[in-house]
Amino acid sequence: MNESARRVVVTGTGLITPLGSDEETVWTAMMQKRCGIRRLTLVNPSDYKTPIGGEVETDAINAILRQVGVEPVGDRTVDMALAAAGAALRAAGLSESSKVMAPPPIPVIFGTGIGASHSLYHAFESFFQKGVRGLRPTSVPRCMANAISAQISITFRLTGANYVIVSACTSSTTAAGVAFRMIRDGYAECVLCGGADAVFDPFVYAGWNNLGVMSKNPDPLSACRPFDSRRDGCVLGEGAGALVIESLHHAMARGARIRGEILGYGESSDASHITSPSVEGQALAIRDAMSSAGIVPEQIGFINAHGTATRANDECESKSILAALGPAAASIPAASNKSFFGHLLGASGVVESIVTLIGLERGIMPPNLNLDDPDPSCNLCFVRGEATKVKSPVAMKNSFGFGGNNAVLILRAWEETSERQRHSY
Amino acid sequence: MNDNDILIRLRHLMKQSSQAKVDWEAVRTDSTIASLGFDSLTILDLVYDIQQEFRVEFEAEKLAGVRTVGDLIAFLKSCMGGAPGEKSAPRC
Repeated sequence: MNESARRVVVTGTGLITPLGSDEETVWTAMMQKRCGIRRLTLVNPSDYKTPIGGEVETDAINAILRQVGVEPVGDRTVDMALAAAGAALRAAGLSESSKVMAPPPIPVIFGTGIGASHSLYHAFESFFQKGVRGLRPTSVPRCMANAISAQISITFRLTGANYVIVSACTSSTTAAGVAFRMIRDGYAECVLCGGADAVFDPFVYAGWNNLGVMSKNPDPLSACRPFDSRRDGCVLGEGAGALVIESLHHAMARGARIRGEILGYGESSDASHITSPSVEGQALAIRDAMSSAGIVPEQIGFINAHGTATRANDECESKSILAALGPAAASIPAASNKSFFGHLLGASGVVESIVTLIGLERGIMPPNLNLDDPDPSCNLCFVRGEATKVKSPVAMKNSFGFGGNNAVLILRAWEETSERQRHSY
Repeated sequence: MNDNDILIRLRHLMKQSSQAKVDWEAVRTDSTIASLGFDSLTILDLVYDIQQEFRVEFEAEKLAGVRTVGDLIAFLKSCMGGAPGEKSAPRC
């Protein structure tokens, strides 16, 4: 790590998930081992091989938007992103209603796998039904992928750069990583980063349905089983997450409550296949993250795995963790949050990072649901059955995506939290 | 369709298209379009929504003389008086 690099801390979080839309609700549900996956209502479930998923309550999105004083723009992805962003800014003490009070320009870096999917669906539907004249004049600004970051920037008057990172399931982890580097390297003092995806429109969901990577188990509570020998594919979900991250200096100067620290970020490309993961590529990203954080494997106290529950991902990820961490991996507790709310695609990385930060604060991590019989080819130290104490205040969050994208964050509990819990590590 | 029916449907469409905070229930026929918070982009959406809702087609420039909601209602009524039995949307 560059000796002159600045420390980067998290001071605000916002969550929109199938388990709830505030930290306490989501955390309590996870500690009680409740699953947010259910029979789909946003699409006709009988049309699909996987009739279940992690849907967000539309009323919950609108309730958060009202709380943060924002009108919905009418696209599900953008509205969830706006809600998460508003909640994170408010939690960081940076906004009252929709008026941001921080003086420096704040960039908005968000990730998405698909973009404004529902707007795109309606645009295509109108075009194919009515032709050129049937297309809404504002289709371009509604459908462009950067509508997410642009609407957040406009709504909250955030005048730093805004753009969207599209890298499949690593999108929001990469967004957080880019934001981390912007601060660490002195290009910004404070960044709003995150991700959002809304997969349950008839077209996008059909694409996933036909791809052959989703579970065919119709039981919502047992279908998603990362690392289990009986896993048969992923279950999708929708949601959004946002983080306000700042330089330590900036956070302390304004008296912000520090929730955790981003120690490092690593990334790589498999450069081999569009959907099949690679041990070498993933291990490269994990090593890159540890190097960025200036840590060795023995310092990692918890692994929040990508853990999609596909046959290929879970085996490959287990091998890449073992390859990168060596013998230390055998005793580091590992879990995937996807059994709780499904795979949130471009939002998964940031939502799971927030869960990790909450866990680091409390010194305990949620288990894997449905991990009844760990697959022998996934030879990690899994959290099974019950929540477990973390070994140290440092955690690794993995995200891997189609396209051979690999992104890894290293997170640490804030020092005061670590000090308070030192005896329990 | 009488003026009040059209006004009620227009209120709904305007609320959908405009991003301004307006008391839409208070919009009357003498309310000016300029007071309803449309910009160069959202007015395009309103025109689109009106065309879809009332099944009429017209170029946005035709609205140049429309100043109030009442003017818009009169314009739409003139558009909707297309030839009987016309299958495609009336153009005006």
